Formats: sequence, structure tokens, C-alpha cells
Amino acid sequence: MEQNTPIIPTKAALAELSFWDRHRLSLLLIITVTIALVMTGISVVIYNSTGAAQLDLSRPGYRSVSSQVEKTDEIDTYSATGPVNKDTIQEFMKLYDAQASKAKAVDAFNGDPLNPEVLEFGTPAGE
Amino acid sequence: MRRIIFVVLASLLTVGLLLPLTGSSASAEDLTPDQAARVKENCVSIKSSLSQLHASDALLRVNRGQVYESMGTKLMDTFNDRLASNRLDTKAMNTVTTNYRSALTTFRTDYIAYEQKLSETIRIDCATQPNTFHAALEQARTLRAKVHEDVLRLHRLIDDYRNSVSDFLLNYERVSN
Repeated sequence: MEQNTPIIPTKAALAELSFWDRHRLSLLLIITVTIALVMTGISVVIYNSTGAAQLDLSRPGYRSVSSQVEKTDEIDTYSATGPVNKDTIQEFMKLYDAQASKAKAVDAFNGDPLNPEVLEFGTPAGE
Repeated sequence: MRRIIFVVLASLLTVGLLLPLTGSSASAEDLTPDQAARVKENCVSIKSSLSQLHASDALLRVNRGQVYESMGTKLMDTFNDRLASNRLDTKAMNTVTTNYRSALTTFRTDYIAYEQKLSETIRIDCATQPNTFHAALEQARTLRAKVHEDVLRLHRLIDDYRNSVSDFLLNYERVSN
């Protein structure tokens, strides 16, 4: 006669299991959450240290300007292949001049908006 | 006697270690009482101005950064590659391109430092810590000036590349004639 193994373990069988055998599911959940937290921490460090955070205009505080991002690239490409002669060099120079004037059109970060006088606390009001 | 010498030496060492830490929050550049009062009074409007500048500078960084990046990849690199594939001397242009890349990296790094300092400044409560706020603001101001210098350097290198190409054309014409 065939002897079937009981589906529900007996008290004696449970007592034989080690601590880790009994808490296998909890252990799995703890390890999973720990790995997720570590990976998230690494991602945040990379996000902040590489300068990606400075380019991310979807962050709170940047919503007002995010629509003004230039989605199309202003600069035209010059082909990296083909012959080189006087005409092609002059053609490049013409293209380069046009693109360079676009690049230099804005004197970015000029002025002194962080000057205390601009922010109206540099000199006493009466002076 | 030994104990006295030990106590004196320990005291001197302690004073020596602690001295540099005193007055670290911009004691030399502390605000006058009148200025501090005005910072406290206008704290909200000052912070609002800084937040607006923070956002507009971020937009400037994204848009100008894209243009400067494209100047390198879409024009300088491609032209250098074209000359190299035709076995022509690209040494002068390569040097300027390398300098341009380096200046672009400096621009990125300096902007990160400036943005982080400005964010830190905005987080300081100027109503309760006007001197700390002022010190941080001065640092952010210096870092912003540095970013502007980087932009000017990039503009100069864009011109330098153009001059290198002009020189190359002159040499090319001289050799081919």
C-alpha cells in the first residue's frame, strides 16, 4: 500500500525546520525592499552628481519655464563625409558663420542679478 | 610640574584647533544691522526674485548648453572627420576642438556648483539667518560670474575655430596652386 505525505505539516515536522526555513517569505521581502532602496539611493546620487538634475526642468519650481525649452536644435549639421576642396571649405565656413552667430547671440549669465544692491538690501534706503 | 605642562599644552592645542572654526559664517562680510533688518523685512520678495532667477538660469543652461554641444558635435567634429578622411592635416582644428570640449566640461561643472549653491541659498531662512543667507548669496554670485566667464571662453573658442579654418583654407589654396 502506498503511503501519502501529509499536505499540512505536523507539529513535529515544523519544529524540525530552521529559523530561516520558517521565515523564508519575510526574508525574501526584506532583501527585495533593501535592494530596491539601495538601487534608488544610487540612482538619486547619480542624478544629482552628474548634472542631470540641473537639466531636469520637470522638477517643481521649473514648471513656469519648462514650456520655453527649445525642442528643435538650432544648429545645422555639416556632413562628415565627402571631398575637401576650396568650395566645400567655403561652404563649411558659410554654414559655420551662421551657426556661430546663433551660438554667440546670447551673452548667457551676464549681469549681476545676485548683487545685494540689485536685491535691494545692499545700501541703506536713504543713501 | 609635568601635570601643569601637560595642561598648558593641551589648552594651547585646543585653542589652536578651535580658533579657525570661530566666526566661520562670513564674519568679515557680516551685514550691517540696517542691512540685516532690510533682509529680514524683504525676505519673501528676495527669495521670490532668487527663485525666478533660479528657474530662468536653468532654462538658459538647457537651451544654451544644447547649442554649445551641437557646435562641437555637428560642426567641429564633423569637419575634422571630413578633413581626416581626406588625409589632410587637422592638427590646428583638433587642438581648438579639444580646448572647446574642455571648456564645455568646465561650463557644465561650474553650472552644477552654481545651481547647488543657489538652491542652498534659497533654502536658508533669511528672516532668521540674514548673515548666513548673505554669505551664501555672495558665494552663489561668485559662482555665477564664473559660469559667465566660461560662456565667454566658449565664444572665444568658437571664433578660434573659425580662424583655424580660415588659416587652413589659405594653406590649402597655397598648396593646391
